[in-house]
Amino acid sequence: MRMNFIIAAVLLTAIGAYAQPGGPGSGRGRSGLGPMLPGDFAFVRGEFGITNQVVQGAPYSAEAVTEVTRTLADGNRIQRTITTSVARDSEGRTRTERTLGAIGPFISSRAAGVKTVFINDPVAGTSYALDPTSRTVRQMPISVRGGQERGSANRTTQAANRKEEDLGTQVIQGVTAQGKRKTRTIAAGQVGNQRAIDVVTETWYSPDLQVAVMSKTSDPQFGETVYQLNHINRAEPDHSLFTVPSDYTVQPGSPNPGRRPAQ
Amino acid sequence: MKGSEQEFLKDLRVLAEDGAGGAPAAVRERLLIEFRRRSAHRRVVARARTAGIAAIAAALLVAWVSGDARHFLTGPHVPAPVVAEATDADFYPLPEAEGLPPIENATVIRVQMPVASLQLMGLAVNEDGAADPVQADILLGQDGLARGVRLVQ
Repeated sequence: MRMNFIIAAVLLTAIGAYAQPGGPGSGRGRSGLGPMLPGDFAFVRGEFGITNQVVQGAPYSAEAVTEVTRTLADGNRIQRTITTSVARDSEGRTRTERTLGAIGPFISSRAAGVKTVFINDPVAGTSYALDPTSRTVRQMPISVRGGQERGSANRTTQAANRKEEDLGTQVIQGVTAQGKRKTRTIAAGQVGNQRAIDVVTETWYSPDLQVAVMSKTSDPQFGETVYQLNHINRAEPDHSLFTVPSDYTVQPGSPNPGRRPAQ
Repeated sequence: MKGSEQEFLKDLRVLAEDGAGGAPAAVRERLLIEFRRRSAHRRVVARARTAGIAAIAAALLVAWVSGDARHFLTGPHVPAPVVAEATDADFYPLPEAEGLPPIENATVIRVQMPVASLQLMGLAVNEDGAADPVQADILLGQDGLARGVRLVQ
C-alpha cells in the first residue's frame, strides 16, 4: 500500500513536471510585476540576427550611438540614446551587443539592463542569440541575401514621392563616406495632414566598410533620429567575439517564429 | 482451480455446521493449506501489480527526461518541429520606421506586451482584449530602432 502511494506520487510528479511550460513565457521580467500598461513590455529573449549582405575583407569594430529626440506639442522633449557595440571580422562574421531599455516608442523598466548579444556567422550559416545572464545561446540557420532594401520591413513607398540628392564626400570618424539625402513627401491629405510632410534622411555611407557611418532622419511625425558610428577601429577584432563561449548551453531556435499581424 | 474452489466451500460449510465445537482435524488442515495457498497467491499478484506500476512510472520519467513524454501522453507520434530560418519575412513594417535608413544588420528579440501596445505601433487592435498580454517579435535595425513587428504563433 505504501509502495503504491510512493509510485503514484512519482507518477504525478513526472506528469506535473512535463506539464510545466517552458521556452516562451519563461523570460525575464514577466512574473510578479503586475499587469502591463500600454507602451510597456517585458523582454522574453533574443531570437536571431539577420545580415542583409556579407562583407568580407573589411573588418572593423565600433560603437554605434543612436539618439532619438521627439518634441511634443507643448514644447516638451523626449530624448533617448541607444548604444550598440558592433564588430565584423574579415570573414564577414558580425557581432552586435546592446543593452535594452527601449523599443520604438516603448520604454520599459522591466527590460532595462537586459543585455543581448547576437553573432551572425555566414561561414557556418548560423545566427546565435546569446543570453549572458543565463549563459544560454539560441541558434538558427541563416540565409544571407545579396542586397539591401529587400526585407519586408524595408519600405517600398512609391518613387514618385521621393527625391534624392548627392551630398558629396566627407571624412567621418576617420572613414571616407559618401552622402545622400533622400526626401519623401507625404502629400497633403494623405494621412489627414493639412500640408505636405517632408521626411528627410541623410545617410553617409562608407564604400570601404560598406556600412552607413552616419545617418540623420528628420520626420515631423516622429521626431529626429541621429545614428553614428564612433571609435571606428579597422583592425581585425578578437576572434573570440565571434565564437560562442564553451560554457554556454545551446538551445534550439524557434520552431515557428511568428506571423504578420493584421493591419 | 474450480474443483479446489468447490472443496474449499464444502469444507467451510462443514465447519459452519459443526459450530463452535470445532471442525474435524482433516478439514481444519485442508482449510489452513488453502488459506496459505490463497494468501501466497495474493502476495504474488500484489507484487506483480506493484512492479507493473513501477515500470510505467519509470518509463514515463525516462521519457520526460529525454523529451519524448509527448508521445506517451498525447498518443499519436508528433514529428519533430522544423526550426525556421532566421529571416525578416512576415514582419509588419512600423510607420515610425518609414524614414529610417535601410537595414544592414538586424536583430530580432521576443517581447511580451499588452495588445494595446500594438495599437501604439500603428496596428488596429480590438479594444476588448487591449489589456491581454501578447508575445511579439520585434525587428531592430543596426541602430537599435524597431523596424517591424510580428506576432508569435
